[in-house]
Amino acid sequence: MRLPRPADHLTTTQQESTDMPVPDIFRQGMARGWKTHDGSALEQDLTLEADVAIIGSGAGGGTTAEILSAAGFKVLIIEEGPLRTSDDFAPLRENQSYPALYQEGLGRMSKNGAITILQGRAVGGTTTVNWTSSFRTPAPTLKHWADVHGVTGHDVDSMAPWFAKMEERLGVAKWAIPANPNNQVIADGCESLGWKHDIIPRNVKGCWNLGYCGLGCPTNAKQSMLVTTIPATLDNNGELLYLARVNRLLIDGSRVTGLECVGMDERCVAPNGRKITVRAKHYVLSGGGINSPAVLLRSNAPDPHQLAGKRTFLHITNFSAARFEQQLNPFSGAPQSVYSDHFQWHDGAAGEMSYKIEVAPMQPMFASTVLADVGQRAAETMASLPNINFMLALGRDGFHEQSSIGSVELRSDGTPVLDYQMTDYSWDGIRRAWLSMAEIQFAAGAKQVWTVHADAPWTSSWKEAQATINNLPLELYRARLGSAHVMGGCAMSEDASMGVTDSLGRHHQLENLSIHDGSLFPTSIGANPQLSIYGLTAKLATQLAERLKA
Amino acid sequence: MSEQTNNNIALAVSRRGLLKFSLMGSAMLATAGVTASLTGCSSSMPQDGYKVLRKEDVAFLSATIPVVMQGTFAADKVAESTLITLKSFDHSLAHFSPEVLKLVQQLFDVLGMSITRGPLTGVWGGWENASPAEVANFLERWKNSAISLLNMGYGSLTQLIPMAWYGNPEAWGHCGYPGPPTI
Repeated sequence: MRLPRPADHLTTTQQESTDMPVPDIFRQGMARGWKTHDGSALEQDLTLEADVAIIGSGAGGGTTAEILSAAGFKVLIIEEGPLRTSDDFAPLRENQSYPALYQEGLGRMSKNGAITILQGRAVGGTTTVNWTSSFRTPAPTLKHWADVHGVTGHDVDSMAPWFAKMEERLGVAKWAIPANPNNQVIADGCESLGWKHDIIPRNVKGCWNLGYCGLGCPTNAKQSMLVTTIPATLDNNGELLYLARVNRLLIDGSRVTGLECVGMDERCVAPNGRKITVRAKHYVLSGGGINSPAVLLRSNAPDPHQLAGKRTFLHITNFSAARFEQQLNPFSGAPQSVYSDHFQWHDGAAGEMSYKIEVAPMQPMFASTVLADVGQRAAETMASLPNINFMLALGRDGFHEQSSIGSVELRSDGTPVLDYQMTDYSWDGIRRAWLSMAEIQFAAGAKQVWTVHADAPWTSSWKEAQATINNLPLELYRARLGSAHVMGGCAMSEDASMGVTDSLGRHHQLENLSIHDGSLFPTSIGANPQLSIYGLTAKLATQLAERLKA
Repeated sequence: MSEQTNNNIALAVSRRGLLKFSLMGSAMLATAGVTASLTGCSSSMPQDGYKVLRKEDVAFLSATIPVVMQGTFAADKVAESTLITLKSFDHSLAHFSPEVLKLVQQLFDVLGMSITRGPLTGVWGGWENASPAEVANFLERWKNSAISLLNMGYGSLTQLIPMAWYGNPEAWGHCGYPGPPTI
């Protein structure tokens, strides 16, 4: 196997590519005899057995699977989405990746349709399609959980070795190559304003700096679960079942006795009629925010305080586009490499809603939805795509009692939907975030800024932008809102009236069920959440392995 | 479609004040959607050549796509570009979850049936005969409506249509996108 090419060879990528293809390490593993089951291709119903059955193959499920299988347990990973690997990603076509790799075929949104929710659904979960930003859980977040939410044992010092372990495992390091011009806008603007900004750590090894992380990494440089922990699990006698939805946990008193699963069609749209029954000694729920609580709700799992699905967070996200004289080519280069936390902790953990500022990569299909408009104005905006900088602010929801939060409900077919309610408190944060972003963009030399809102014009100065933003109606559908970080819904807390699990992810009512994913978070994180999930679930899985051996 | 429902909608629409209550608007839309499915006012079969889109949906989108994309499509390639967008739109819908697809189809039901189309969009004569100005007027009306379901419909259409177009190489010249790198 050849070594990945470093990013500074990017200019010669095309010439080299014909004679030096990227090895598809997952398909190679399957050829070596990995045990995998395709739920869309079953010819009859199936029963599978394992020591531990893990529901979900994203950050929490993948991390847990590797640790438990290395400890000698027979692990079965169950993933609802399809198996797609580097060869599948190589065309780098948005219209192939989005329908295949995202929840509900990229159709996931809040119940009122006002918030688009980007969440992965494939082997590797969201880690297969995320933009690689890797931050430790901020210290004020961990302290807030201990102070307010009854979480014990996860202070900064006790978490540090777990983050270090996963950073090492997944190659997390500050991006050493110069930021692409889209990201550089944050650095330039903040520098000029005297605001804090820094380089983003990324989980990549030998990254080509292409910028297409959201479509699945074609070079296996991104250290997603697809190329790290899941292969390690399969090398350790683990098994993978994909295109299979866990319909419900079978429960007898205080124990889970099995899983009732259904095979999905190959598009992952509808069940195909095949049933898969899973029997294990222990079960780990790692479906992530929205899907993990949905499994509990569908199963009528004991929930004396009606907590499953409640307090779900999104890092409610708003946007600001800027036009520059020079070309930025925001569709090329590492998607996220610079951030600003200048307004993240300025008012304390539970003060006014604060936000992390980053940018988004702008391949045209994605760009056309976030910049959506009608007719000539839309045409002109998209025609200037090479000159556009696209900034976003991740609203830190769930820390203040007036914060917007969501609640997971089941639709008539048993699938989940998130009812997310905005509040005046959160709208205030949205407005301030628009102001901060426009100020950074003009300070970085933008010619024009568009606050992404139906009533905002392109403005030509910071003063004009300020006046515009201060008068924008704070209304759903007019303000474009999104989310790529679903968190919470199965909160951990030592107090069973506040949490679905204890601080170790042990379900308060079901003795052989653990939850290992971002749904455990009692608030949002205040940073892109993947490393928070890796670090926490590495710790929980290691302790689970010790308990299971005892 | 019963005469009674017909009258109710006409009444609601004639007194525009009633439409300010989005709850009532929602109930009306729900009624229209359910009635459509029960009475077979809207066909459920995809049109030939499509996976999901029905005849009425294709008629609606064929009128609306060129208006949303006006200025984006090359003037001499509007028909061809509209067809590409329609096919991609259909492909997207075929991968949505059943519940999200159902929402989109309810939206299309409301837009497709004359009983709701006229009052809610101002297009009285069928989408095949709608002028670009009428379509633009309908979009503006939905954007600014006091009924949140119409705002949502506007938001969905104005995101799904460009998205369907810009996934195709034919779209990339206009937006200065060189296409993905070769691996």
